[in-house]
Amino acid sequence: MTAIVECRGVTKHYRLGTIDVAALRGVDLTIDKGDFASLAGPSGSGKTTLLNAIGGLDRPTKGSIKIEGHEITALNANALADLRLRKIGFVFQAYNLIPVLSAVENVEFILQLMGVEAAARRARAKEVLRDVGLEGLENRRPARLSGGQQQRVAVARALASKPAIVLADEPTANLDTKTAEDLIALMSGLNDRLGTTFLMATHDARVISRTRRHIVISDGGITSDERRKLAEAEPA
Amino acid sequence: MMSRLRLLLPLAWRNLWRNPRRTVITILVVGVGLWSILSFAVLLEAWSRSSRDTTLKLTTGQIEIHAQGYLDDPTVAHRMAPPSGDLEQLLKSSEFQTFASRVRVGAIVQSEYKTLPVTLIGASPDAERKVSVIPSQVRDGRYLSGADDTGIVLGRNLVRRLKTRVGKRVVLMVQAADGHLAERAFEVVGVFAAPEQTENEFAFAGIKTVQTLTGIADGISEVVAYSGSDDALPELVARLRKAAPGLDIQSWATIAPLEYAVSTLFNQFILMWLWTMFALMAIGIVNTQLMAVFERTREFGLLQALGMRPRLVLFEVALESTLLIGVGVALGVVLALLSVQAFPNGLDLGFLGRGAEMVGAGHILYLHVNPADFALYSLLVWVMSVLATLWPARRASKVSPVEAMARAAI
Ligand SMILES: Nc1ncnc2c1ncn2[C@@H]1O[C@H](COP(=O)(O)OP(=O)(O)O)[C@@H](O)[C@H]1O
Ligand SMILES: [Mg+2]
Repeated sequence: MTAIVECRGVTKHYRLGTIDVAALRGVDLTIDKGDFASLAGPSGSGKTTLLNAIGGLDRPTKGSIKIEGHEITALNANALADLRLRKIGFVFQAYNLIPVLSAVENVEFILQLMGVEAAARRARAKEVLRDVGLEGLENRRPARLSGGQQQRVAVARALASKPAIVLADEPTANLDTKTAEDLIALMSGLNDRLGTTFLMATHDARVISRTRRHIVISDGGITSDERRKLAEAEPA
Repeated sequence: MMSRLRLLLPLAWRNLWRNPRRTVITILVVGVGLWSILSFAVLLEAWSRSSRDTTLKLTTGQIEIHAQGYLDDPTVAHRMAPPSGDLEQLLKSSEFQTFASRVRVGAIVQSEYKTLPVTLIGASPDAERKVSVIPSQVRDGRYLSGADDTGIVLGRNLVRRLKTRVGKRVVLMVQAADGHLAERAFEVVGVFAAPEQTENEFAFAGIKTVQTLTGIADGISEVVAYSGSDDALPELVARLRKAAPGLDIQSWATIAPLEYAVSTLFNQFILMWLWTMFALMAIGIVNTQLMAVFERTREFGLLQALGMRPRLVLFEVALESTLLIGVGVALGVVLALLSVQAFPNGLDLGFLGRGAEMVGAGHILYLHVNPADFALYSLLVWVMSVLATLWPARRASKVSPVEAMARAAI
């Protein structure tokens, strides 16, 4: 198996005035191509901090992080921005979308930043919106989409650049049960069909039960990491 | 660059209309501010031109040439020969629009009722028409018909004070070249209108008639010359002095220093107003833009999280300001143009009566738009305002995506 992400001894300290907060205490973690993994743990255990470090949003205090074999901890701000643009797809808990752009424009925005030319861009944006089941809603602005639909646009945008990995931070936290289950089924289906690698921080049992790899983090350290077969793969 | 503009332009434009109230306020601040700057500039420019014109289009030349000593003692003793040689060639060159020769002496005018001091000008009517508006301001009778016209043209107010009128005779007394007091009767052939002081001071007769009266043959007192703009004056004065080293050659800046100062002072006023208005505008703009940026911290974090380089975020916010202020500038220009158009026949200062003359202007200020000034002031306001918003924009680009997104989770 090919390693998409390799974390070695990743440590992150925050300084709050004179107090030193250790958010990550030497995390070793490898995410393989095609993984559909949940990163579970109680609030404050370090999930967001780890995702941000892997996604190049934040630098660890110590340790090494490689994306597709390339060390990213020493990259400058511009190189990190490019890494996020081309290699990482983000789905955040809320406020994922640029409010003044329609669904299709939100997706296209990434491709535009990448320099994809107009026709190819539009085609690709429509394709991924179809993949997440939003055909017909392409021209709506975020304010006129439901919470679940907004998260689907965020997933579509994350997929648009064909990234090495999609990092989702509590993607279902603001959704009701039915919508949350639809969203997780959608991501599971995309993982099956397209082989996209997912790593999701969550403490939502509904999400955890649907992942094939189950990583648990507690107090800044990985405490368990097991792979298992899905009980049943319900279609979305 | 083009592809970036295509990426950011729609984003920036739509962002403008997210908070219409703030956008409209900013546009109004810029629009009304620029409108006041432009209107003020038009008004002061009209005033300054009117003041310059009333000075230069009566009897003062833009450049005046006299014999040495004339300015201190303006008598026929200090006379000069008509321009010839290098001087004449230069005056007739394309550097000058026109020039006129005059005899100009102090005189006493006497009617049946009254005796008053005047300045008698011996004029060549054809040349005079090109250098002065007085020949076209004759309200009663006619202007001089030739260099040897034996009639006299007086100012309206002087005629009233002398209790004379067209067709009557007045007697003029001047000191002739040989020192004796020469006198001659003239028929009043015309009455001109001008600022009161000018009406009282000047009397015009044919140049040959005055030359004969004063016994100076073809001698003259002065040459007044016009080149158009004031910019090249110092250089032209220097060239004239070289062409005629024996003569006293001055620009109106030294002959009429007060009027010249008023004319140039207005330009300083315009600049002062510009900077004052601009300072007020800048405070308003920076404030609203800072607020706008602060409210959207999360969004700038998102843009960076998605892989937009900080530079590009800065560019986006600057582009928003450029568009926003551009709309305000357009509004200001349109308002100013409409304001000027509202007075197609000029702004009548008649209600000030003779008061307007005292501050050096004519009765009517003709407003006119100087496209170069409009462009310059508008561009200045635009560029400076955008520069003022660079600080808020910089703050937006310095947002750490993690902190911005963390704020979102709350
Ligand atoms: N910017 C920060 N400054 C200081 N402490 C922080 C910051 N971000 C996170 N922390 C701390 O680091 C720890 C891990 O936080 P986080 O990664 O957000 O946990 P989770 O996402 O699992 O809830 C927590 O104790 C939190 O208080
Ligand atoms: Mg978190």
